[in-house]
Amino acid sequence: MLLEWLNKIAQYHAPLRPPGAVDEDEFLRKCIRCRRCEEVCPYDSIIMAHGEHGQKVGTPFIYARRIPCYLCMKCTEVCPTQALLPIKKEEKEKVKMGLAKIDTTTCLAYNGIICRACYERCPIYREAITLENEMYPVVHPEHCVGCGICENVCPNDPPSIIVKSAHA
Amino acid sequence: MKTMSSFEQKFYRNLHWIRRLTQWAVVVFIFVVPFLNRQGIHAIIGTFYSIRIGHLDLMDPALMFQTILLTQNIYFPAILAGSIPIILALVFGRVFCSWMCPYNLLSEYVGALRKRVFPKKQTRILNHNPRPHWYWTVLGSIVTLLMVSGLPVITYLSMPGLISSQVADLVLHATIGVEISLVIILLLIEFFFAPHFWCKYACPVGAVLTLFHYKHTMRVQFDPKGCTCQDLKALSCNAACPLGLDPRHRDIYPYCYNCGECIYACHKHQGKSLSFSFQTNKQKNIIPLKFNEKQDGPFKEANL
Repeated sequence: MLLEWLNKIAQYHAPLRPPGAVDEDEFLRKCIRCRRCEEVCPYDSIIMAHGEHGQKVGTPFIYARRIPCYLCMKCTEVCPTQALLPIKKEEKEKVKMGLAKIDTTTCLAYNGIICRACYERCPIYREAITLENEMYPVVHPEHCVGCGICENVCPNDPPSIIVKSAHA
Repeated sequence: MKTMSSFEQKFYRNLHWIRRLTQWAVVVFIFVVPFLNRQGIHAIIGTFYSIRIGHLDLMDPALMFQTILLTQNIYFPAILAGSIPIILALVFGRVFCSWMCPYNLLSEYVGALRKRVFPKKQTRILNHNPRPHWYWTVLGSIVTLLMVSGLPVITYLSMPGLISSQVADLVLHATIGVEISLVIILLLIEFFFAPHFWCKYACPVGAVLTLFHYKHTMRVQFDPKGCTCQDLKALSCNAACPLGLDPRHRDIYPYCYNCGECIYACHKHQGKSLSFSFQTNKQKNIIPLKFNEKQDGPFKEANL
């Protein structure tokens, strides 16, 4: 039981912010917790922090393992205080929500099983994740937007590819 | 005495029920909006912190000022969004609180329940209006806390926003956060100790709206000539006021939120002395009351 909890804490990583979010300090001051981004999200990706998140209560989070961000950019248009800066849908490469990192010790591809789940689902296709030797996925930090789709589709549990939030 | 049109009289006679209908319509509204969003209809999005109806942006003016103070930067669309509620407050006063706020609706029912459960505590019907500086002291300390801590304190203390966002969570994700316990704690305090203290003294949302109260804002006006309660040893207007004010005096502001319960009670008892007015009556409202609290004991509500 205790070990389970400790494992959970060890694997805990900060949830993602929606695309276009400003710096975390500025974000907490700008965000008025109005939930317009949550309500406009067509994929139900965004959910709100509750009281256990302390001063971050009511701010929008994306838990990639639950539902990742599909980069439709609707939330950035509705923010009334520019806590989320507007980004056009065609400019989704400019988003920087986080950075994906592959754990090569557990990744199926690195362990001899053919798996291209993250590579094939990546919205920045063949740029953010490429296959080395047609086999091993590699993340390119300069192209990765941190949407969390790779983490969502990873067949391993816990996922072998994890998106680290840029707003931790 | 001011003559009242028949429409006005009809309005005053049904004021309580018109207001209750509005309040419940707002409650239905905050349930329907997230429900529609879940169905994929995004025409109306938001909560009482900020809401977008079609392309019309609305924002709580208190949060507008909070954002300006915290970011020290003026974002023009936010000012525009905050100005519509400000115009409403300039014309009609703090009607958001009394006619729309879901917390006030809960608080009024808690107050009514308190009157049933502890009838003895409610015998004093003649109210005293508190001096306005208490009100501004509370708002000032909240703003100071906001500036010192750099935290969006008004957001945390905005009860209408908190309730509507928790309702949105309930409808969208079938969960409720622990922050709803703040509402329950406040309602329990109101039930056992201080009825309606939050709306009367502490709420920063209402306080910012009251900042825009000026001499042509709609106010409750008392005209002693139409008063029918003076000989009856009971003042129905005082008994009806949910905030415990004495609406016969002019110094009910900044506390009064124009709910009109006193006007409704007055007209129910065939009186005509209380009404809404956009002008401040120049004459001093000194009421020749044939009553002495010390001699006659506390008022009892008349059974007319």
